[in-house]
Amino acid sequence: MSATTTNDSSTFRPWHLFAVLTMLSATAAVFTVGDTSATNLVMVSLAIMSAGWAGFMVFRTLWPLAAEDGDTHQPIVAGKARVMLEREKQLVMRSIKELEFDKAMGKVAQQDFDEMVGRLRARAVGLMKQLDVHEPHYRTQIERELARRLGAPAVDAPPPAATAPAAVSVAAADVAIVAAVTCPSCETGNEADARFCKHCGTKLTA
Amino acid sequence: MSSLGTFVLLASFVVAAYAVTASVVGARRRSNRLVESGIGAFYLVAALMTVASAVIVHAFVTENYAIVYVDRYSDAAMPLFYKITAYWGGLDGSILFWVFLLAVFGAIAVKYNRESHRELIPYVVATIAVVEMFFIFLMVVHNNPFSTYLTQVPPDGRGLNPLLQNPYMIIHPPALYIGFVGMTIPFAFGMAALITGFLDDSWLRAVRRWTMVSWLFLTFGLVLGMIWAYEELGWGGYWAWDPVENAGLLPWFTATAFLHSVLVQERRGMLKVWNVTLVIMTFFLTIFGTFMTRSGVVQSVHAFGEDKELAWIFTVFMIFILVVSFGYVIYRLPLLRARHELDSWVSREAAFLANNWVLLFSAIFVLFATMFPTITEVLTGNRLTVGPPFFNKWMIPVGLILLFLTGVGPLLAWRKSTVSNLRDQFLWPTVFGVAVGAGLWLLGLRVWSSGLCFALSAFVFATIAQEFWRGARVRQGATGSDVLTAMIGLVGRSHRRYGGYIVHLGIVLMFLGFAGEGYKLEEQTLVKPGQVVTVGVYSVEHLEVKLGDDGQKQMVTGHVAVTREGKSLGTMYPARWFFRKHEDQPTTEVAIRRSFWDDLYITMAAYDLQQQTATLHVVVNPLVNWIWLGFGIMALGTLIALLPERAYAFASAPAAEGAAAERV
Repeated sequence: MSATTTNDSSTFRPWHLFAVLTMLSATAAVFTVGDTSATNLVMVSLAIMSAGWAGFMVFRTLWPLAAEDGDTHQPIVAGKARVMLEREKQLVMRSIKELEFDKAMGKVAQQDFDEMVGRLRARAVGLMKQLDVHEPHYRTQIERELARRLGAPAVDAPPPAATAPAAVSVAAADVAIVAAVTCPSCETGNEADARFCKHCGTKLTA
Repeated sequence: MSSLGTFVLLASFVVAAYAVTASVVGARRRSNRLVESGIGAFYLVAALMTVASAVIVHAFVTENYAIVYVDRYSDAAMPLFYKITAYWGGLDGSILFWVFLLAVFGAIAVKYNRESHRELIPYVVATIAVVEMFFIFLMVVHNNPFSTYLTQVPPDGRGLNPLLQNPYMIIHPPALYIGFVGMTIPFAFGMAALITGFLDDSWLRAVRRWTMVSWLFLTFGLVLGMIWAYEELGWGGYWAWDPVENAGLLPWFTATAFLHSVLVQERRGMLKVWNVTLVIMTFFLTIFGTFMTRSGVVQSVHAFGEDKELAWIFTVFMIFILVVSFGYVIYRLPLLRARHELDSWVSREAAFLANNWVLLFSAIFVLFATMFPTITEVLTGNRLTVGPPFFNKWMIPVGLILLFLTGVGPLLAWRKSTVSNLRDQFLWPTVFGVAVGAGLWLLGLRVWSSGLCFALSAFVFATIAQEFWRGARVRQGATGSDVLTAMIGLVGRSHRRYGGYIVHLGIVLMFLGFAGEGYKLEEQTLVKPGQVVTVGVYSVEHLEVKLGDDGQKQMVTGHVAVTREGKSLGTMYPARWFFRKHEDQPTTEVAIRRSFWDDLYITMAAYDLQQQTATLHVVVNPLVNWIWLGFGIMALGTLIALLPERAYAFASAPAAEGAAAERV
């Protein structure tokens, strides 16, 4: 059993056991306390519920120590540089959008706009290139991950290599729906509402 | 039950210590097992704090006066609602409540960010757990809310302070605590970013929502405190620069500065050191505010009393926070270099920077003035106090500068504004502001601070209106929809920006409310039955004084008939209440008649039941309700800015390329 929770709601999970125990304890308390006020009973029940929660959390604390550490060999900090580059890319893209809106609002002079947006686009292109150099198979990895999530069963999944071809086709179909605009310069598929190519930064025509 | 409570506190301390150790060791050894176990322990602290809270509330409800804390803050005659809320009515319980909130908030923050910020989470857990350990330690060694009487158990409790038996005062502390406690989450993420070296902008995105929610609750808590002071203390105003009020205001200033400077870091990669410093300072000020109100270093109507030992424990912790956090800032300075320089002083980032400096000055000034009596006592042996006039003398101009910057910031362009930009953006708001100022001057409303505030409010209002109008026109041109739909779409597409503008609108309303203070009218007179007091357009006729009793307290109630310009508005009932357990602390029950333009506010300062005379204090407070209304608008704006992108899917159809630019 993994230390993390699963998305499979059909199986009996540890917290179910604690919830049942809590309800049984609260019911028992209501009968045994006997002659008391309704407020008192509510308070006792709440205390038992929180104790049940605490019990589950004790389990939640200890179980990872007893379970197999499947992820031990995966570093917690994976691809630090890539993560930072991705984030900066998002930031630059959003800055371009904001700048365009400011321009449309008449808050930026044409000359300043050209200079700033040019710098931002150059930065975005640079970041994308850096991402490609840093992690050449990044796109393939994303598609594989997408395929795994969309196509493969959650439990007892076969090794990624075995499922990859079929699953990638699912991911590719999914990407094809989204990527409706092809860049005239580098032929990269872009989202339907994209105005600039996410690979080379060339302006796209609608 | 008291033994169970004490045991839970001890267990919580041990579990929190385990959470710190497991998380840090797990992160350094790259062991997911340890990290997961640490997170589990962190959740467990939240569960244990819930058990402890349930135990103390149970003790209040079942009138367990063997527990000292229950005896001190409740009695049998108190309504159930106040018995439950007496949980945070005193020092020991308020610390327990603080840890409970922090544990629950921390658990939620970790749960929602553990996947998206995996690299930070172990250190976030460790930081929050260290703060929890400090407060649990306080309870275990010094302020145990579960400690019991060793010998005779009192038959009945001493009762909650009558001033606290007010619905606003019941909601006020939790709101303020949520604001305070919530600021620990950004601090924890900031520290995690400093420790791990992930000092790009991602940690800011993780904390932005938490800061906004905490800021909103802090504002809510401050406003509730104002309403409580206005309705319960009976002196005719809402803010007296009391140290406890100031304790909540200090982190509000720095949190507001942070919310603005975050934008500069996101847009231009500047102010990284500044942002992390603001997060640390905000957290530090929440702890310092707690220290001020609980250690007795300041004197206040609602501080928790003097406690030198507690003051020392807090001092050590505060030094620890400063040394560790700023130590890490210095260590990470090379990673905190700005990506850009300030290109021009006529730019939006410069306006944000100015706004930050003014807010920081406000925090430092209020801190200094609040601590001034303590500082003078330490240095000279005499306690020199500074009153509201001193604060107002400095803070009114500072507030007006902030209001001005509220209007200026959104009009300026990022990086630099040209002369034509400035003319185009500032023309109409300036004309409107000047016209309002001149109009008020001609009408004879010549209180300089209020008049200037009205003119600046008009200027800021015009900037907001202009932003909405121009944005809607741009969007209208792009989508071809009507103006209203375009405006909704505009807010949907840029909800953070336009939510912020709505918050600014709330600020304007609040400032209008503050400006109303300049035209306040008041009179205090001894009156016999039949005599009339006239204040402004209101006439108040004293009718009689009656005595009543509801078992918990004696109530002396004045009956006064009120007219406005000759038209009857009915009878009002200012009163004085004498709680049996606190007869030396009579409460003033204010009679208020609210309206959009002003409040008629009547208190009975003194009375004579035999003679049927009363000393009535009659106040007319113009525009005071706009303050509360302003808060409502601010809350609405914050919620709009906080909602996730998907909430606006209905309004965020993409604009056609080029259409916007063509329109302009």
